[in-house]
Amino acid sequence: MILELRNIEKSFGEKKVLTGVSFKAEGGKAFGLLGRNGAGKTTSIRILMDVFPANSGEVLIDGKPINYNKVGIGYLPEERGLYPKKTIIDQLTYFAELKGMNHKAAVKAVDYWLERLGMMEYRNKRLDTLSKGNQQKIQLVTALAHDPDIVILDEPFSGLDPVNAMLLKDVVKEQIGKGKIVLFSSHQMSYIEEFCDSIAIINAGKVVLHGDLHDIKRNYPRDRLVVRTESPDQILADFGASCKTMETGDLLIQLTSPEEKKYVMTRLVEHYDIDEVKVYEPSLNDIFVEYAGNAAAEG
Amino acid sequence: MKQFGKILNFELKNYLKNKAFVGVTLLLVAIIAVVMFFPRITSLFESGDPGDSTADLPVLLVKAEDPAQAEMVHQTFAAAFVDYDVQVTDKDTSYIKDQITSGNAEGAFVMTGPTSYTYYVNNLSMYDANEAIANEVLQRIYQMNAMIGSGMTPEQAGEVMNIQVTSQVEMLGKDQMQNFFYTYIMIFALYMVILLYGQMVAMNVATEKSSRAMEVLITSAKPTSMMFGKVLASCIAGLVQLIAIFGSALLFYNINKEYWGGNEIVDSFFNIPPELFGYMLVFFLLGFLIYAFLYGAIASTVSKLEDINTAVQPVTFLFLFGFMVVIFSMTSGNVDNLLMKVCSYIPFTSPMAMFTRVAMSTVPWHEIAISIGVLAGTTVGIGFLAAKIYRTGVLLYGTRPKIGAIIKAVWKA
Repeated sequence: MILELRNIEKSFGEKKVLTGVSFKAEGGKAFGLLGRNGAGKTTSIRILMDVFPANSGEVLIDGKPINYNKVGIGYLPEERGLYPKKTIIDQLTYFAELKGMNHKAAVKAVDYWLERLGMMEYRNKRLDTLSKGNQQKIQLVTALAHDPDIVILDEPFSGLDPVNAMLLKDVVKEQIGKGKIVLFSSHQMSYIEEFCDSIAIINAGKVVLHGDLHDIKRNYPRDRLVVRTESPDQILADFGASCKTMETGDLLIQLTSPEEKKYVMTRLVEHYDIDEVKVYEPSLNDIFVEYAGNAAAEG
Repeated sequence: MKQFGKILNFELKNYLKNKAFVGVTLLLVAIIAVVMFFPRITSLFESGDPGDSTADLPVLLVKAEDPAQAEMVHQTFAAAFVDYDVQVTDKDTSYIKDQITSGNAEGAFVMTGPTSYTYYVNNLSMYDANEAIANEVLQRIYQMNAMIGSGMTPEQAGEVMNIQVTSQVEMLGKDQMQNFFYTYIMIFALYMVILLYGQMVAMNVATEKSSRAMEVLITSAKPTSMMFGKVLASCIAGLVQLIAIFGSALLFYNINKEYWGGNEIVDSFFNIPPELFGYMLVFFLLGFLIYAFLYGAIASTVSKLEDINTAVQPVTFLFLFGFMVVIFSMTSGNVDNLLMKVCSYIPFTSPMAMFTRVAMSTVPWHEIAISIGVLAGTTVGIGFLAAKIYRTGVLLYGTRPKIGAIIKAVWKA
């Protein structure tokens, strides 16, 4: 199954929110939708979920316009919240039923997920008696109980302790393994990097980068070297302006061309006390800052 | 449609399982039970000691210089003032005044001639009818004596005095007096229910929005299903409450019917003509729905719960305006004035205005049909508009948008 947004345009009043947004997400893979606050991620997701229509453009499944009666979508919104005064089981079955399940199937599915997430003991408790992290796990059930084809998770890891984060990772991997389209939206780049095969970066309502994460990284020019050393001063002095200290404490050396790589590497190993030297591959964080940050500065 | 059913079911359970809802309903039923059983309870205490009842009656003193007059006044007053123990005295005025100020007697009639007297009383109550009764009794005695003096036998004189007038009223329209009571109750019930449940719908929508449950809801269900489900659920809950209250009133009334002794007003209330009851139901439902939609739509534009009250004020004022027009027209007795006629076609005021006119006056059927048609059409229209506002409104956080901005957004959506 392939989900595709094609040329989505959206304005609220005079304000243009999305300009020609297009991206593709494949089943069995996770897709990362990145962007700074207010870039248009949530608006794209809402159009994708038919909360409101786009001014123009299409949402396609396998090349055909999406039929919301046939394609199930599960959504974990960034703004979390359910009915605080209702019991867990009552509201979770209600949400599952709204997604088209009958009552019996809904109760069964909810019980399965409560068990899976270790929340069975809270089944008949009111939501507001639970801790924030546990409320978040309850909310995750609303996104998964009806076994949707597309799972949209907006900042799924925020507010979770490491144990729960691990549990969620397993669940996400399981969903991907089932061939579903898992769409991530997050600012925590490490998680996106861990899960997502392809990404799209939205900035000021435009997709500024879109594609396979490996390819994106590969396509970066291989003209920078990362050097780990105990005595950086000499290198900094010798390389001058082409060398600077990174946040990690390592040195980053800018080459004049990728062909220079072998020569400089040999020189570094021979003349200095080096622990490690390698070609610099940008992290997703760097890519994000470069694309999202720059475009914002231009705008 | 399936979704709508689920939402209706969920929202309705919210009401019916709500402790406050159940508590208030039971409390109201209990109050009605007390009211309806009241005559039966009081009759239990009254029937206890009928023998020495005169001992507890307040004393009314009578004094006349002529013993024959004293005797006659005593007899006739004793018959006229059934709630008093009428006693003759020959003591002087200061003694009589003492008796009254000390509380031994409530009042005294000191005769100064056949048709003149001084009425002594401590505090003259607003509702004191003693003077009027005394006047009438004395007048009759004087008239009787005059007739007997001019040659009539006492029987003939008695016949003249007690002549009965027979009359019949043929009502071509409605008896306003009789219908006033239940129209008043119905208008008041409508007033209470619309304001209460309107606020509840508003609260419900705003709570979902502020708790962010809306984020999931709006992606799970159609806004029209949400809006109609919520509003109809509140409508059914309101009806359940009304049926509980009026049903128990009817039940308790029938249990205690004999003790109410054919009280006309109460009787009229429990014997509303069926077609009027039908109109009541129609206007009630449509009036309820149109306001509930408005309240729901407005609440969806509010981000914080504490802003609801100011936000719904315009709707409340609109409603109050209609209510005032109806109540003033009802009490003035002219329910067919121009303002009422206009109001009975405006959808937001017609549920009260047209119903009042139907109940208390004679309105041609086609006027009623037009009024109901306009109201029903507008209600459905407002329902869909409310759903649109709802969809736009619930996703807007921060400062509340101006009405113009919402209309613009709804228009474009």
